[in-house]
Amino acid sequence: MKKAFVAALAAVSLLAPMAGTSFGQSGSSVSGNLSLSGAWALYPMALKWVEEFQKLYPGVRIDVQAGGAGKGIADALAGMVDVGMVSREINPAELEKGAFVVAVTKDAVVPTLSVRNPLLKELLARGLKKEEFAGLWITKTVTSWDALLGRKGKADAHVYTRSDACGAAETWAAYMGKKQEDLGGIGVYGDPGLADAVKRDPLGVGFNNVNFAYDARSLKPVVGIVILPIDIDGNGKIDPAENVYATRNDITKAIADNVYPSPPARDLYFVTKGKPAKPALVAFLKWVLTEGQKYVPETGYIPLSAAKLSEGLDKIGAAGAK
Amino acid sequence: MFLLTLVPSALVLLIIFGLYEKSKALLGLKSLGSLLFSTTWSPLRGEFGFLPFIMGTLWVTAVALVIAVPVSLFTAIYLSEYAPKVFREFAKPVIDLLAGIPSVVFGVWGIMVVVPFVGNVLAPLFGVYSSGYSILAGGIVLAIMIFPTIIHVSLEVFASIPVALRETSLSLGATRWETVHHVVLRKGAQGILAASILGLSRAFGETMAVLMVVGNVPLVPKSLFQPGYPLPALIANNYGEMMSIPLYDSALMLAALVLLVVVLVSSILGRWILVKAERRAE
Repeated sequence: MKKAFVAALAAVSLLAPMAGTSFGQSGSSVSGNLSLSGAWALYPMALKWVEEFQKLYPGVRIDVQAGGAGKGIADALAGMVDVGMVSREINPAELEKGAFVVAVTKDAVVPTLSVRNPLLKELLARGLKKEEFAGLWITKTVTSWDALLGRKGKADAHVYTRSDACGAAETWAAYMGKKQEDLGGIGVYGDPGLADAVKRDPLGVGFNNVNFAYDARSLKPVVGIVILPIDIDGNGKIDPAENVYATRNDITKAIADNVYPSPPARDLYFVTKGKPAKPALVAFLKWVLTEGQKYVPETGYIPLSAAKLSEGLDKIGAAGAK
Repeated sequence: MFLLTLVPSALVLLIIFGLYEKSKALLGLKSLGSLLFSTTWSPLRGEFGFLPFIMGTLWVTAVALVIAVPVSLFTAIYLSEYAPKVFREFAKPVIDLLAGIPSVVFGVWGIMVVVPFVGNVLAPLFGVYSSGYSILAGGIVLAIMIFPTIIHVSLEVFASIPVALRETSLSLGATRWETVHHVVLRKGAQGILAASILGLSRAFGETMAVLMVVGNVPLVPKSLFQPGYPLPALIANNYGEMMSIPLYDSALMLAALVLLVVVLVSSILGRWILVKAERRAE
């Protein structure tokens, strides 16, 4: 009895690893294991896509991890994951190492203030210009909220940034023509971490990806945070046309209409090492660029133009032809 | 079986060798001295000054030791000399439980409790501003993480002191505390030092919890309430940039090598002192 049990256990444990290998090559008999890692910005979208894809292709197991855009591209280029999720532009050095890049959706980084900021009303009415953002994060010429508003007072500005190598910080810095390492401020780990730091500090200012600044259910900014408007035309006040932050739908519409500047709005990418060859991977990428796009608006992202999508499909199509 | 025991030591040597190989690219361009003592950290411009990170590591570890050693020592003394046996047997597993809590859990707790405490309570007490993300916050969290190490080893050291010595002291009329002070602590001094050094090695390498509360600003800290940036945090935060910026991977490997060497040296030192102390006590 015991011998039979042990034999059965051995048989199962020897055969179990084979359960993930793909024997089928087409349609919903595609199977295999995929792994994604990288940007917090893409994380909610990737989760939605993976959920819907696995419904159609039950033979494919997909695993998603966050950790920042830097981790995503490092993992992908090291061959540790199949897809790196990257929320910034790809560097020439990364392309040289074999990065194969496909744009999959679009979103943005927004500046944030604490809801308990004593000068909240004035700051929201006035917004900040690009030079003033640079004064907060880069040149350190803006150090106090009172001084910014031309008043006397002790409300210093406490600047926060991201400690981990990430797309959000890189994109926010790109808006000011710089790089992540030029952003000065207390470095907090992760998108949710930054939102939390600003929430707790009434005088804090930070930035977040749209999907971490807005609550996914209420579509309003996360409790405790207010979006600091960008004074796009630089006239010293926020006109109705620039007031696009009330709900997530407002900001996504502003991004799609190019009212909100790019950067800090940017394309989000899936990066693989070399052209994708694994059948499950090719199927997943093709699905993301076609049927997957219908889940984009409801998850709080901006759909790409048809031209960009077909460009991506051509890139993959040439690689995964069977 | 002999070969199997060689495996861990071989692994350590392999890691050191691997890190050194990867660091050669950067070491070829700049001297070790200039790397270790320069303060500018700007990888895109090719500046790799490690001093802020080395100082950050030293500051955080020093704070952690200053908090942890006295508290752990007195805890160990109480448990070993004064506590009833039942209490001691109950306390030991509870303390060891602390050692099993994952680093990131300490980090989250640190953000929720220690950071506001430092920023809203301690800093105003001293009349300075602090966001709470500071060397002090990192040191407090780290101290709590190394309690179990120091307490555990100190308890073993005290247990290795012969009961006869304590009995002799008491029979000569010394009080409990005088016995502890003049006999137990004197005999156990080397062992306590070893325990502290082991705690130090653990403190040097602790990454996640410290990263979440220390502020991550690459400047040499000038006060406890300023943010810092220890070496492990540097590696964990910037692992992602390795592929993108030339020489960055070499710089991070060098940081890892420096950290590894420091931890190894202090661990070996601690072990050596401990072995000597136990041999003496026999």
